[in-house]
Amino acid sequence: MQELGKIHQLIISFMGHEMAFNLEVIAMTWIVIVLLIVFGLFTRRKKGIRPRPLQVVGEMYLSAFYQLTEDALGSELAKTYAPLISALFMFLLLSNWLGIIPHLQEPTRDLNTPLSLGLMGFVIAHYAGIKSKGWKVYLKAYLEPIFFMMPLNVIGELSKVVSISFRLFGNIMGGSIIILVVSHLTYSMVFPPLLNAFFGLFVGTIQAFVFTMLTLVYISVQIK
Amino acid sequence: MMTIDIPTWVNLAALFGGGLAMGLGAIGAAIGEGYTAAHADMALSQNPESSGDIIKTMLVGQAVAESAAIFALVVAILLLFLNVPNPSLAKAAALVGASLSMGLGAIGSGIGSGMPGGKACMGIAAKPELSGRLTMNMLIGSAVCQTPAILAMIIALMLMFIDFGSDPLKIAALGSAGLAMGLGAIGSGIGSGYPGGEACVGIARQPRMSVGLTTNMLIGSAVCQTPAIFAMVVALILVFMDFSGAPLYPKWAAFLGAGISTGFAAIGSGIGGGMTAGGSCEGIARQPETVGTVTTTMLVGQAVSQTPAIFGLLVSFILMFKTFPESTALSASMALVGAGVSMGFGGIGPGIGNGMVAQSAVRWVARNVEHAGDMVRTMLVAQAVSQSTAIYAMVVSLVLIFVV
Repeated sequence: MQELGKIHQLIISFMGHEMAFNLEVIAMTWIVIVLLIVFGLFTRRKKGIRPRPLQVVGEMYLSAFYQLTEDALGSELAKTYAPLISALFMFLLLSNWLGIIPHLQEPTRDLNTPLSLGLMGFVIAHYAGIKSKGWKVYLKAYLEPIFFMMPLNVIGELSKVVSISFRLFGNIMGGSIIILVVSHLTYSMVFPPLLNAFFGLFVGTIQAFVFTMLTLVYISVQIK
Repeated sequence: MMTIDIPTWVNLAALFGGGLAMGLGAIGAAIGEGYTAAHADMALSQNPESSGDIIKTMLVGQAVAESAAIFALVVAILLLFLNVPNPSLAKAAALVGASLSMGLGAIGSGIGSGMPGGKACMGIAAKPELSGRLTMNMLIGSAVCQTPAILAMIIALMLMFIDFGSDPLKIAALGSAGLAMGLGAIGSGIGSGYPGGEACVGIARQPRMSVGLTTNMLIGSAVCQTPAIFAMVVALILVFMDFSGAPLYPKWAAFLGAGISTGFAAIGSGIGGGMTAGGSCEGIARQPETVGTVTTTMLVGQAVSQTPAIFGLLVSFILMFKTFPESTALSASMALVGAGVSMGFGGIGPGIGNGMVAQSAVRWVARNVEHAGDMVRTMLVAQAVSQSTAIYAMVVSLVLIFVV
């Protein structure tokens, strides 16, 4: 039980500030990135009109996510944002699934990963909003319905980042804690595989999809 | 007079907390399972031929709804056999806080996750050939409902296993952290059940929209969990922020007020956001081509329903971070607790009321999409009126904090 909340950190002093690097999270993120690149290379290998199995998987996946993006943003903007949305989902899915392999951890279990992805989505959504509506209309939206609601609207926007990232973090962290605690209580018999299937695969998939869809919805709310 | 030493206090807190966590945690799941079974019975009487599928779906749905109670069971057992290395009064408060967080936090998720199961059984009775799709949607819907309970469990385990030292101010902070998280999870848990249930009804009505309905359900229930996440943020600040140096009196009351304010205000917003999401699933199933407008209206409606929870969060932040002059007078402390109570309870009604308005608006926007603009404007005006009671509550809170 003592491994709960233990983090391996590398602390470097830089210009008088202490910078902490969570080594495990960085390593796990790189594993996910390498796996995704390998998957991408294999799906592209020997591509042709008569596709090989992996190419079919890749094409079905991409067309499904292009369709989702088109439904939300329209076909013109989908060309810009669909690659982002599909890549985001793949990264999150693999990150959430990584924990079912012994000795590996989900990078999303560390709040830094969801929070930076949430901030990324926030910046992209507001960039998209300013680009499609222009500064004036964009800023005027904060004065709706009455001007003194402005602080609340700003807090509401910022709370989206908090909610989207804590939701992912909480679910993945919670799942891994439940697996740890129940495995400990049952001496790792019978329950852990079932729990891994439920929290690792099932909840991991759902939460990856929820995060991706919310990022997409935040973009679509901004451009309208 | 009998004196109780500190290890005994910790032991008492652990035993009482174990009972409290399981007792409170058993409430919600049982209600949710009853809801599922009641609808399964109704479904059976409508379509006795598919009794096999219906009973199977009912049992699977009940098993998922049970998980909130199982989280509570795990926390309760851990509390009963907990070994505390450095007993302190802060630890005793942390254990009571852990049990409150887990016990209260399991109520909402238990109730909410029963709803998709019941509606899925009804759907199977109407369209037996869709039982696979409906079961899948039910599983996803119920699993998303568990998020508030999972967040509550994280806070509970942190309170149990982290060593907090023996700062007397931490006693109030840790107890309030548990209270905030537990109360805050109730509304979101119940609320996320609505879209799950309505999506199952909708799939049975309009099978070709099933993917769109599942997506909309996920977005809707994820957004209505925002109040629970606010509560988690407040709880995390109370647990980890170093407040040493602040005067114990009246800061302890400020922490208690902060917990009460966010915790209670999140209940209404959670339920309201859920009702809105449920309405949007129903509307999309009726009029599939309106999905874009309906989803946007839902998000706007949910955002306004969440305003009371944001008020609660604001009052909590002021209470936690403002420095108060030291004063042992009881009235100074009571004013701060009162500020939390005013905002917390004052936020419940507007959250639910705004949810009702938005639910109806979303439903009728789907049926009458040409007049969407008028309806959304009416919705916003009506919500602003119903919001005004939350604003009164906030004004009273701010007066209690800054003036009295």
